[in-house]
Amino acid sequence: MYRKIVTSGMIALSIAATGCGQSAAPSPSSNPAPSTASSGSGAPVKLEFLQNKPEVVGEWNHLIAVFEKRNPGITVQQINPPNTDTVLQADVAKGQVPDVIAMGADATYIAMAKNGIFKSLSGSSELSKVSSAYTKMLEDEVGKTTPYALPYTVNAVPVIYNVTLFKKYHLTVPTTWNQFMAEANRVKRAGGTPFYNGFKDAWTLAVSWNPLAANEEGSKFFANLKAGKASFAKDLPKAAARMQQFVSLGQPNQFGVDYNDANTAFANGKSVFYVQGIWTLPVIRQANPHITLSTFVFPATNRPAQTKMVSGVDSLLAIANSGNAAKEKAAMKFIDFLLERPNASAYASIAGLFSTVKGVQPTDIAIKPLQPWIDKGRVVDFPDHYYPPAMAAGNQYESILQGALSKKASPQSLLQQLDNLYQQSASHQ
Amino acid sequence: MVRVMRSLPYTIMTLPAVVLFFYFHTLPALQGMFYSFTNWNGFGPVNFIGLKNYIGLFQDPQVLHSYAFTFEFAIVTTILVNILSLMIALALNSRIKFSKTFKAIYFLPYVLSTLIVGFIFNYIFSNVIPQVAQQLHIIALTQNILGTGFAWVGIVIVAAWQGAAFNTILYLAGLQTIPEDVYEASSIDGASPWINFWQITFPLIAPFFTINMVLAAKTYLQVFDQIVALTNGGPGEATQSVTFVIYTNGLGGGEFAYQSANSVVYLIVLVTVALIQIRILQRREMQF
Amino acid sequence: MVRTKYNWLATVFLIVGAVFILFPMYMTIMVAIKSPFELAQSLLGIPARIFWSNFTQAISITHYGQTFGNSFFITFFAVVLTILTNSMVAYAIARNMHSWIFKGMYYYFFSAMFVPFPIIMLPLVRQMSAIGLADSIGLIILYVVYGLSFNVFVYIGYLRSIPLELEEAAWVDGAGRWTIFWRIIFPLLGPMNATVGILTALWAWNDFLLPLVMLSDPNQYTLPLVQYAFQSQYSTNYNLAFASYLMALLPMVVVYVVFQRWIINGVTKGAIK
Repeated sequence: MYRKIVTSGMIALSIAATGCGQSAAPSPSSNPAPSTASSGSGAPVKLEFLQNKPEVVGEWNHLIAVFEKRNPGITVQQINPPNTDTVLQADVAKGQVPDVIAMGADATYIAMAKNGIFKSLSGSSELSKVSSAYTKMLEDEVGKTTPYALPYTVNAVPVIYNVTLFKKYHLTVPTTWNQFMAEANRVKRAGGTPFYNGFKDAWTLAVSWNPLAANEEGSKFFANLKAGKASFAKDLPKAAARMQQFVSLGQPNQFGVDYNDANTAFANGKSVFYVQGIWTLPVIRQANPHITLSTFVFPATNRPAQTKMVSGVDSLLAIANSGNAAKEKAAMKFIDFLLERPNASAYASIAGLFSTVKGVQPTDIAIKPLQPWIDKGRVVDFPDHYYPPAMAAGNQYESILQGALSKKASPQSLLQQLDNLYQQSASHQ
Repeated sequence: MVRVMRSLPYTIMTLPAVVLFFYFHTLPALQGMFYSFTNWNGFGPVNFIGLKNYIGLFQDPQVLHSYAFTFEFAIVTTILVNILSLMIALALNSRIKFSKTFKAIYFLPYVLSTLIVGFIFNYIFSNVIPQVAQQLHIIALTQNILGTGFAWVGIVIVAAWQGAAFNTILYLAGLQTIPEDVYEASSIDGASPWINFWQITFPLIAPFFTINMVLAAKTYLQVFDQIVALTNGGPGEATQSVTFVIYTNGLGGGEFAYQSANSVVYLIVLVTVALIQIRILQRREMQF
Repeated sequence: MVRTKYNWLATVFLIVGAVFILFPMYMTIMVAIKSPFELAQSLLGIPARIFWSNFTQAISITHYGQTFGNSFFITFFAVVLTILTNSMVAYAIARNMHSWIFKGMYYYFFSAMFVPFPIIMLPLVRQMSAIGLADSIGLIILYVVYGLSFNVFVYIGYLRSIPLELEEAAWVDGAGRWTIFWRIIFPLLGPMNATVGILTALWAWNDFLLPLVMLSDPNQYTLPLVQYAFQSQYSTNYNLAFASYLMALLPMVVVYVVFQRWIINGVTKGAIK
C-alpha cells in the first residue's frame, strides 16, 4: 500500500469503560490473569482486532496465540485489511467497527475519535502504565481532553546511516543543519551518494518535511494559521529552502524510485544516509541482515540546543464504542495483556519502535542514540497531524511537495501552493 | 390488441430487474447526490450547506487539473487503443499462419487483473527498463518514466497493453460478420486493399466502431486501477484522474460530501460525452 | 488473388505485437521461479532450477486454497445468475424497443454505466449491511444487478440480428412468451451467453474495490484483496510477490485457454446464422 506506515502507523485500541457514561472501568487487571484453569464463565467472546501494519502480521498472530492460550474464553481474530482507511470508513457505515483497533494517529483516526466511534478511556487504570506525554499528544490531535486511545508504540524521524560507509568517509555525527549539509557535500565530492530517496511515493517527502517544518513554525503556528495571522509562505521559508537543498543531494532518479526500492538500495550500501522513520529499520535489515546501522536526530536547525526530534504515536490502541459489555471487558483484557512489559517489548522491537509502556527499553542498538531525546521530552509531534484532514489525508500536501520539488519550483512557489491547499481544505470541511 | 397480451410476460421479465437495480444502484446514487449538498464526512453530523460544494469545485485547482488530465488521457488512449485493436483485428482476420495462437495471445491481457498487471509494469518501469538502459548507456531511459513529466505515457502504455484485447475481440467479431463474397465481388473490380477497407469493411463494422469508441472512452474516463498501481497520482498531482481524486479525497481525505458533489458533476460530464459520441457516430453508421 | 496466399505483412505485425504482450508475462514467470540471489545475477535469464519455495511460501501466507475457494464461489454464482437473468431482461427489452417504457429501461440501465462508483459506495455499504448482505452473497447479487448495464446493451445488439419470423412462427403455433424465450431464443444466444459469462467471470474474479468495501470477514477475502495486502507485506521480496501474483493470475488464464475457442467459434457461428 502506498501510504502504509507513513508518518503515523499507530495502533488505536481505545479502551472501553464498561458502562457507557463516565466511570472508572472496573479494570480487569484487578483480577489477575485468570490462568488456564478458570475457563471463562459464560459464552466465549470473539474479538475482532484490526491493525494496519502489514509487516507485523506475524508478530500479532504470535501475541494473539499466547493471549488466547491464557484466556480460553476469548478468541481474537486479526484483520489486516489491504487499505485500512477505506475499510474503516466502510465498517463505520455498516455499524460494525472492529472491537479493538491498532492504527496510526492519522486523519482517519482523528475524525473517528472526534465523532465518538471509540470508547473514552478516562479514568482507566491502563493510562498509568503508558507515557502520559504521548497520551496527551493523542488528545491534542483529536482536540479534546478525553483519551480515546492508548499510545502503544512511538516512532521518531532520525537520519539513519550506514556505519561502514560513515566511517569510510570519516564523518562525524552532525548537530546542525550546516554541518549536516557539509558532510553530505563531502560525500558527494568524494564520488558517493549522500542520500537515497524513494520520492516516487509522495509520502516519503513528508519524512524530512516534518522535522524541518516543526522546528521552524513554533507552537502557535496552527492557531495563527487558523486566524489568518500566519501562512506557510510567511513562516516557513527556511523549511522550504532546506527541503530543496536536501533534495538536490539525492540520487539522480529519486522521483522514480519507490519506498520499497529505496529501502533495498540503502540496505545494499547505495548511500551513506537515509532520512526515514525508525519503522524502516526492520525492513532494511530484512533486505540485508548484515548491515550495521545507527541513527542521529535530524538536525533541522543551526541551534543544536533548540532542535527537537519529531516523534509521534505509531500504534495506538482503541476500543470500539459497541455497547456490548462482555466484548468491551474482553477487549480490555487483551489490552492489559499487550501492555505487559515482555509483550510490549517484544512487539516494539519487532516493529523497530519505542514502546510507551513504562520501564520498557529499546533492544535495538541502532535507535539507542535517540532514547535520551524521548526521555527528556525534547520531542515534537508530526505537524501534519494538525493539518486539516483534507490536506493531510490522501497524500494531498505530500503531492504538492513532490510536484514542486521534482519540477525544481522555487521555495516561495512551493509554500504558496501549500497555502492555497490549506485554504481549500479548510473551506470545504 | 395482441400487444397487450404479449406485453405481460415481458413486464414480469423486466420488472424485478428494474426494482433491484433501483434499490442497489439508483437509491445509493440518489443518497450520494443528497450528501453532495451537505458537509457530511462519512460519519458524524450532517448539515445542509446548499451549493457550497459545487461552487468550491470550480475554484479548486486540483479538481480542475484532474479533469484536464483525465480528458487528455482518455482521448489519447481511446484513439490509440482503437487504432491498435482495429489493426490487430484486421491482421487476425487476414490469412495468416497460427491464427488461433495469435488470437489466444492477443486476448490474454484482458483476463488478467488490472491491479496485478499494474504491479508488474511498475516493476518493469522502475527496475527493468532503467537497469537495461544503464547497461546499454541510453541515458534518457535510465530514469523511471513514472517519476518524470512523462508519467502519463507509462499509464497510457499499460492501459493500451491491456485494453486493446477487448476492443480487438469486438472488431474481430464485426469483421467475421462480413461474408467472403463481398470481398470477392470487389476483388473482381480490382479495388485496392485500402479502398476495400474504407469502402466495404469499415462501413460494415461501423456499429462495432461505435460500441468500441463509447466503451473505450467510458473506461478511460474512469481510469483508476492503473493509477493506483503505477503512480498513485504522482509526480505531484500530474496523473491524478477525476476518479482517483474522488476516491482518495472522498474516502481518505474526509471530503466525502465535497467529492460527492464532484461525482455528480462528473456523472453529468460522462453522460454528456457518451450521448454526444453516440449521436455523432451513429449518424455515420449504416442502418441495421 | 491476394487472399489465397498467407499475408506475411500481417504475420510480422502480429509477431511483433505478440512479443510485446508476452514479455511481461515471461518476466513475471522468470521472477517468480528464481531466488532473490539469482534475480540479482540475471533479470531475464532462465534459472538453473526452479525455486519452488517461493510458491510454497506464498501458498501458506495467502491461504491460497481458501482464498481461491472464495473467489470461485463468488465468480461461479455471479456468472450463472447473470446469464440466466440478464439475457431474459435484454430479450424483453429488445422486443419492445418501440414502447417508450422499455426504451426508457434500456437507457436507464445503460446510463448507469456512467455513474462513478465512489458516489454510491458509502450509501451502498450502509444499505447492504442493514439488510445483512455485506458478504459474498451480497457481492454476487451486486455483480448480477450491476451487470445489467453492460449486458443488456450487448445482448440487445445481438438480439436485433435474430429474425422475428422464428418467434412469430412459434407464437402462431401457440407457444407462450416464456417457452419462446427459453426454448428458442436462449439457445440462440449461446455465443453471447459465452461472452457475457466470460466477461462477468473476469469482472467478479479480478474486481478489487467492491470486495474491499463489502467483505468484513477476512475468511471471505478474494484473491485480489489478498494480493494487495501481500504486495505491501512482502514488498522487499519481489520473487515471493511475483510467485503470488502468478498464482492469482493462473486460474483465469487456464479457464481462458479452455473457453477462448468456444467464444470465437460461438461468435462466428452466431454471425453466420
